[in-house]
Amino acid sequence: MLSRHADCAFWIGRYIERAEATARMIDVHYHFGLESPLVGRALTWEAILAISGQKKKFNQRYQEINERNILHFFAFDQNNSNSILNCVRLARENGRAIRDQISSEMWESLNRYYLDYRRWNVDRVISESPFAFFQSVKNGSHLFQGITNRTLMMGETRDFHDAGRFLERADQTARILDVKYHDLLPRFTSEVSIPAPTDPAVVDPFSVGGTVDTHGWTAVLKSVGAFEAFRKTYRQGVTPARVAEFLILNPQFPASVRHSIGRVEGCVRRVSGNRDLSPSNPAERAVGRLYNDLNYLRADEIIASGLHEFLETVEKRCAEIGFAIGATYLKY
Amino acid sequence: MQNESLSLFDAYDRGGFFDEMLTEDGPRPHYQKLYQNLSAMSHHEFRARTELADLTLMNQGITFTVYGDEEGTEKPFPVDLVPRIIPASEWAHLERGLGQRVRALNLFLHDVYHEAKILSDGPIPRELVVNAPNFRRNFIGANVPGDIYIHICGSDLIRDADGTYRVLEDNCRTPSGVSYMLENRLILTRVFPGLFRENSVRPIDDYPSVLLNNLRSFAPPGREEPNVVLLTPGVYNSAYFEHAFLAQQMGIELVEGRDLFVDDNMVFVKTTRGPQRVDVIYRRIDDDFLDPLVFRPESALGVPGIVNAYRSGNVVLANGIGTGVADDKAIYPFVPDMIRYYLGEEPILEQVPTYLGWRESDLQYMKDHAKELVFKATNESGGYGMLIGPQASPTEISDYLNQVMADPRNYIAQPLIALSRSPCFVEDRFEGRHIDLRPFILCGKDSVTIMPGGLTRVALRKGSYVVNSSQGGGSKDTWVLGESRNVMQQTMGSMTQRMEGGC
Repeated sequence: MLSRHADCAFWIGRYIERAEATARMIDVHYHFGLESPLVGRALTWEAILAISGQKKKFNQRYQEINERNILHFFAFDQNNSNSILNCVRLARENGRAIRDQISSEMWESLNRYYLDYRRWNVDRVISESPFAFFQSVKNGSHLFQGITNRTLMMGETRDFHDAGRFLERADQTARILDVKYHDLLPRFTSEVSIPAPTDPAVVDPFSVGGTVDTHGWTAVLKSVGAFEAFRKTYRQGVTPARVAEFLILNPQFPASVRHSIGRVEGCVRRVSGNRDLSPSNPAERAVGRLYNDLNYLRADEIIASGLHEFLETVEKRCAEIGFAIGATYLKY
Repeated sequence: MQNESLSLFDAYDRGGFFDEMLTEDGPRPHYQKLYQNLSAMSHHEFRARTELADLTLMNQGITFTVYGDEEGTEKPFPVDLVPRIIPASEWAHLERGLGQRVRALNLFLHDVYHEAKILSDGPIPRELVVNAPNFRRNFIGANVPGDIYIHICGSDLIRDADGTYRVLEDNCRTPSGVSYMLENRLILTRVFPGLFRENSVRPIDDYPSVLLNNLRSFAPPGREEPNVVLLTPGVYNSAYFEHAFLAQQMGIELVEGRDLFVDDNMVFVKTTRGPQRVDVIYRRIDDDFLDPLVFRPESALGVPGIVNAYRSGNVVLANGIGTGVADDKAIYPFVPDMIRYYLGEEPILEQVPTYLGWRESDLQYMKDHAKELVFKATNESGGYGMLIGPQASPTEISDYLNQVMADPRNYIAQPLIALSRSPCFVEDRFEGRHIDLRPFILCGKDSVTIMPGGLTRVALRKGSYVVNSSQGGGSKDTWVLGESRNVMQQTMGSMTQRMEGGC
């Protein structure tokens, strides 16, 4: 297939996933508030800005950090290249550029996603329902992905699309976890490992294992759609270590870093047809190496060496995988 | 309540024009069934179907962007749901005439880029041809497969006050609109499935297959499985939807200039598995932008070296280079002479009488009768560079005439033709609007295929004669009726399984 077409497919995958992840990231704030008023206080809008690493960009254009401005910045700002509006718009533009390559159902879904999204604005979100808004974004992404699954030929276009989609997902899961870890455990510096779960009857609600902590981590799980799956996996309860293990290493959870990176590897291997253990190009090397690490690492090792450091490395290596796929296949 | 009982045709005014559907005594015979159907419909019902059609277009992204709007508002291309119907006998006449015309145009192009006999023998002034802006001097002597230059032709037909079909112009470069022809049909089959069952409408859905077969047949010799691509200027081109649509329908790659490169006079496309040779390019980029080494050096849309690859016969371009000299509006008056000269036949289709600014006596007439004439710049399209004398103010006319006097070769004038009208749904009832017809003509190595019908364009603004989409035009589905109800079956709808096996 044309390198430019592969590039478009890859970025459709990324943008659609990114739109959903951004919606989830803001949605988690509302979840926090719902879970417990205490938690609501623990997480401020500032923290959301910190997650995305876009505080500076935000401050350049907005006077005040408040719900309206944050919503506008992340969801509707035309000048924020990662706003949901821009993600959906760019996914659609990429879809338009390869509309002959993808199924017409896929194009129609991208087009409708965008047109429906344009009917939202900050006022409507606030007055109507943030929940309905975030749900509509998630549904838009899910619908497109489902249509893609059902209608797009198994082949290179699909592999590049999926590579983009799962690489973005691995990256976003790592990010959400990283930031929540910081928000919820502000007193821990990165050198200090997370203590083992403590007695639930602990008094200080803000301490590890306290009410805020439990509710906070529950909200993190809910924000990535993992709460029920987590419950089925760990019946002992929510602790930071278990949440981290689940979101990073669980081989069955579809948004875990390990599962997502495994999918990326499957895609790049199918494209090259290489069945050898050793990689045949830089893309396979980068993704295979990370996947192997995730396959052999244990949760306690990650936590002992510092969760934040680990997640930062994962984010960096996701970026490297993106570059390697670009250099190997997508240059035109 | 009172409205409910009114027919959509009540108070319909033919306005003294030739009306496609209605005469003084009611509907023409080939419109009979349609007329009955539409008469039985309330305006609510018709509007609901129009809205359904618009929504379909919106969702499929068959829209254009309203410029100057920061929000980037998109609107569906206006489709009027009342089809235009052409009876079988009329179509047979048009088919013969258009085929004759495109054969002559191809022979003309081969001639002017080789011996140029027609210029020596006299029927066409040499000066007009060699000074035409789209005459490609550096292309003289080059050979093209099958001597076919125009693979896809879109000739515009109009009907005058008597209903006589006349060729208004030929589009021999990169004619567009065929996707709207196909989409309009698709929409009508969805919105009015019943109408197709009652009328035997000839299908048009094999256009992409015929085009692809033709393109493949022109591939350089020895290329067993030719690689055909469609070259587009990109997503910001107003016809991008059509480019993507056709590539998808033909199952070929849609490429941009930056996807291609030339090596050793061969064209390659950059793929995830390295460069791959390209054999045939259906290009939707004008000559001027095709190759920065030969034409406009600043063009970023084209492919450096592609013209040499073409001259070497390693790649085929459709349409060929230099076809613009054949649809130059100053050459147009000579097409009947071409037909007589090359084919030894009398032209089947009428044209529109044309005055050439280049010709001294015509120029004088154009000045004296400007108020009665339609002026056109010879190499503009899309309804740009026009002056409609009868609708223009004295200042507009004198300003325009100054331009004409500055460069007379660049202008022609024609009498204003009272274009035929067709009923269109406007503000909850039918009103007559002027229309034209662009049939699509495909030239293979030894055959000419004309899709039955074409794109009927509508000047949706009341009283307007300008049908171009850039000037507020819309379009209609165009039905060519089969000879007999039983012979032709509509194939656009879904096929049903035959349950009984017994032959």
